[in-house]
Amino acid sequence: MNEKDDFMRRLAGGLRGMPKDTATDILQDYEGHFGEGRRAGRSDADIAHQLGDPARLARELRAEAGIRRWEDERSMAAALGAIVGLLGLAALDLFIVIPVLITILIVVFCLALAAVCIGFAGLVILPFAILNILPSSDGSWLQNILIGLGLFSAGVSGTAFCALFLIGLTDLVSRYARAHFRLISPGASLSAGV
Amino acid sequence: MEPNLVQFRKGVLDLCVLALLERADAYGYEIASRLADAIDMGEGTIYPLMRRMQKEQLVSTYLVESPSGPPRKYYRLTEEGRQSLLRQKAAWTDFTQAVNAVLDAGQDGTS
Repeated sequence: MNEKDDFMRRLAGGLRGMPKDTATDILQDYEGHFGEGRRAGRSDADIAHQLGDPARLARELRAEAGIRRWEDERSMAAALGAIVGLLGLAALDLFIVIPVLITILIVVFCLALAAVCIGFAGLVILPFAILNILPSSDGSWLQNILIGLGLFSAGVSGTAFCALFLIGLTDLVSRYARAHFRLISPGASLSAGV
Repeated sequence: MEPNLVQFRKGVLDLCVLALLERADAYGYEIASRLADAIDMGEGTIYPLMRRMQKEQLVSTYLVESPSGPPRKYYRLTEEGRQSLLRQKAAWTDFTQAVNAVLDAGQDGTS
């Protein structure tokens, strides 16, 4: 198979799952590059070699698009997209970072769950306290209400804290990844790691 | 290639592209082949970089009919890109001067 077709096929394969017009746009860039190179008298093999590994280029383009979407939209789906895109880079550094990240995520998840439960408990207690029919409590009416309110607001603030923390974490990981995984070298030096 | 060199090139690629575009608008292949010669980087890298710069609004694009073949996508520096270039250029000059001063001092000491 021709080197150009091979390059374009592997690039297109790597871009699968991206929005169609974005992928078409990217493919056109590289298609044009081959065209210009040919007119300059270079062989397809030479051009493809200088461009580098298409699979890796595709991974970088996807990761960049994922991070970009997270910055634009700030939705859960976008966050997942960014994280999946970053995992796709499968760079060595990330293997060290991933266990730490997973641990942090589990801890945050547990904290968020606890916060939600506490807030919910406060919410349940509150009407009973107001009506002064809270079972098994020796506190006064006001005390019970304050306990209910306190639990509820603690739960809400705990949940909000976890959400803010997650947002900050995703930002941080995005910035870290962008700083570390920008591609420079052609195929030959990729094996040396970036 | 030495890992350190890769890091160096990574750092200056943005700056080089901006500087290239300050002199004249250029299309992808032009930028890629010039920078590949100048700082020995993979030509394919330029396209992800240009996409990022376009989204960060450092550059804008327009199409120009080519005498042979399909129209070329030209990149032009935006005002924001110009500002970014000035900042990065100043930082680069400061940095290299500081490093050179240290290197020269080291040479004097040993000779």
